[in-house]
Amino acid sequence: MFSFIAKRVGQSVLVLLITGLVAFSMFTFVGDPIDNMLGQERTMEDVERLRQQLGLDKPFVVQYVRFLEQAVQGNFGISYRQGRPVAEILLERAPATLELAAVSSIFAIVLGIGLGVFTAIRRDGVAAHVIMSASLIGVSLPTFLIGILLIYVFSVELGWFPSFGRGETVDIGGWSTGFLTVTGLKALVLPSITLGLYQMTLIMRLVRSEMLEVMRQDYIRFAKARGLSNRVINFRHALKNTMVPVITVIGLQLGSIIAFAIITETVFQWPGVGLLFINAIQFVDIPVMAAYLMLISVMFVAINLLVDILYAFIDPRLRGAA
Amino acid sequence: MLRLSTALALVLALPASAENFKFAVTTDPQTMDPHAVNSAPVLGFLNNVYEGLVRRGKDMTIEPSLAVSWEPIGEGAGWRFNLREDVTFQDGSAFNADDVLFSYERAASEEADTSSWFAPVSDVIKVDDYTVDIMTTAPNPIFPDSIANWMMMDSDWAAANDANRPDKEQGNYATLNANGTGPFQIVSRAPDLKTVLSPHDGWWGEVEHNLTNIEMTPIQNSATALAALLSGDVDFINPVPIQDVVRLQGNPDVQVIQGIEARVIMLGFDQQAGAAESGQGGADMFLDPNARAAVAKAINAPAILQTIMRGNAEVASQLVSPAMRGYSTANAAAYAYDAEAARTLAQEAGLDGQNISFKCPNDRYLNDEAVCQAITSMLAQAGMDVTLDTMPVSNYWPELRADNFDMYLLGWSPGTLDAEHPIRFLASTPNAEKRLGSWNFGGYSNSRVDALLPMIQSEIDDSKRQAMLDEVAQTLQDEVAYVPLYVQPLVWGARSGVDVTQRPDNFFILRWVTVE
Repeated sequence: MFSFIAKRVGQSVLVLLITGLVAFSMFTFVGDPIDNMLGQERTMEDVERLRQQLGLDKPFVVQYVRFLEQAVQGNFGISYRQGRPVAEILLERAPATLELAAVSSIFAIVLGIGLGVFTAIRRDGVAAHVIMSASLIGVSLPTFLIGILLIYVFSVELGWFPSFGRGETVDIGGWSTGFLTVTGLKALVLPSITLGLYQMTLIMRLVRSEMLEVMRQDYIRFAKARGLSNRVINFRHALKNTMVPVITVIGLQLGSIIAFAIITETVFQWPGVGLLFINAIQFVDIPVMAAYLMLISVMFVAINLLVDILYAFIDPRLRGAA
Repeated sequence: MLRLSTALALVLALPASAENFKFAVTTDPQTMDPHAVNSAPVLGFLNNVYEGLVRRGKDMTIEPSLAVSWEPIGEGAGWRFNLREDVTFQDGSAFNADDVLFSYERAASEEADTSSWFAPVSDVIKVDDYTVDIMTTAPNPIFPDSIANWMMMDSDWAAANDANRPDKEQGNYATLNANGTGPFQIVSRAPDLKTVLSPHDGWWGEVEHNLTNIEMTPIQNSATALAALLSGDVDFINPVPIQDVVRLQGNPDVQVIQGIEARVIMLGFDQQAGAAESGQGGADMFLDPNARAAVAKAINAPAILQTIMRGNAEVASQLVSPAMRGYSTANAAAYAYDAEAARTLAQEAGLDGQNISFKCPNDRYLNDEAVCQAITSMLAQAGMDVTLDTMPVSNYWPELRADNFDMYLLGWSPGTLDAEHPIRFLASTPNAEKRLGSWNFGGYSNSRVDALLPMIQSEIDDSKRQAMLDEVAQTLQDEVAYVPLYVQPLVWGARSGVDVTQRPDNFFILRWVTVE
């Protein structure tokens, strides 16, 4: 078992290193940060001097090794744009993204399971048909369009929710939270729906089909024959048995909610790490881009590693195969 | 009862949030250090917090700020500035000549991005606590004009916070904090998120605004910014997307404030013999002025403005707009559109059958990509074979520096608001040592223009100076050094009841804002 885990961890580190190398080789294509850092009246000498100071005159492999050397010491460099340590900026921005991801996950899970069960039980009802058709919109409309639509209807026309930002936040030990103020909670509504809509429809459709599958099983018929109430059959017996694949999917989707918050954050000017990354690309802020990409790949690799190890625990055959 | 209703009416007439002013910008100023980055977002914002010896008024003319008066001394040897007394920085310390000397050393240092402003300066001398002489290597009539954005920093504050020099790469205390003499001080700053300002109570000037609290939020997505304005979440946005102007004009809750910027959009050409890389144009097709003239005549600039800019811009005839000092009225006629003449000229110059590589940014100027596409099809109609290549600006400048073009699009906003500025940066033969022609990517070179530039820079007599500026404008036009296209429009949006002043430098000056 130990050798299996060690092997998997080794593979994960290798994947991380390769991801980083690919990322660094791409940075040259994003552009040149020097012109963004210097003003109109710079000379070519200024450009060259700054390039040398930042080490951008070196091949990308050298830049990558230097980044790794500093990163293992916990130093992710200084942002070209803000002139502040990247680690500090990431820590400052993380709460916004994590809170948004948490709320939209809860929204997706609660509503997804609820509607999934409902459409499975009342599969021939008008409401179920309407929900199923509407869910197609959720899957097929691009996120930015949903965001703009929500802003237009609920901010501009109705004025119920703010059109951008996080509202007021309260700082608790370095974690800025929007959960404790009215404006903060209101500000969460539209971005959470935008970010969670796709996951919600996904969960809903999955729950529905699993539910329909389970409802055909013999033990449900026996339960009916025993005269159990519909509530007990639906929720105690049927739903419980649909949850295994649903939980797997939810777990995998959580990572992508954080990683793909970029678009939602851009549309709502949500001050999270996704917006930070977009701004970093425009400015060619290499330290920020590198740190963000490494962080996201660490997250995905960690999730996959965890899943692998869990599978191995469940299925002993995998231990030998690895 | 009557008194009660009057009181009630008074209360109703003053909305609670009236003086709380929120505005959105596309680019957050990357630093609060007035000497670290010479860019419009930084200098425009910091003009509200820091002040210089002189400043620009509503009509862009130079007026007294921290200097009450100035005069040339010693036959063009320099300028004497008489400083304002009883000026205090926002931390309460007094402003005097030592701060001017310190700010000179700081802003002219190698670490600063503003050092080019002080290239003509040989020495700065403290005469007494409120008199400073700035000596120049040659007579310099426009020197006071050129330092309107040179902002004064307190020497003690900088020393106490270890910020004696700007630090672009690592940042320092002055990157996040500010201590100016200006009308507003920074209450809190979260870079990229929110910056809060409040009036500086000890400001020396007469207060025209009625703001008590100001919040600046960067919003990059223009649709989000527009929604924020329409929903009342912000009171002001800059810019308004051109395509939304008409829609906003029909909305009684908001107003559109339009003008033209100091920025002239133009086409540049590769004019260096044999310099172009093979496969990237290669041939020296634009060495011939007739080839450049063919391009100039083939472009219907008014049509571009009518369609792509929806009538919000003005055609340009030279490298500066008419609002700039030194604009040549003698050369106010732009190249006339004449597709037939363009076709003949192109054939004579041997442009037909050659592939012209046209580089263009797609996120730098208003609707830049659309403008370039229109130009490409207009040139095609005149028989020219153009390959357009558009890219983000971060990729664009390296491409131009590497000479990978035959033709390119450039916008130029003269920092000094004077016609001398583009001659120095765009029309002079590139010379790193003299800091000349640093944006002359095409390598245009004319010895007469090179000879005229130092004479223009040191000419005290206004009419003689203008005659030389006219000659340069004429030469550049005759030789088609560049093809000026139009002056970029400026479109701001504000809630009704907000009164603002728009200047061609696109600086948003808060002390001129009043809110109903």
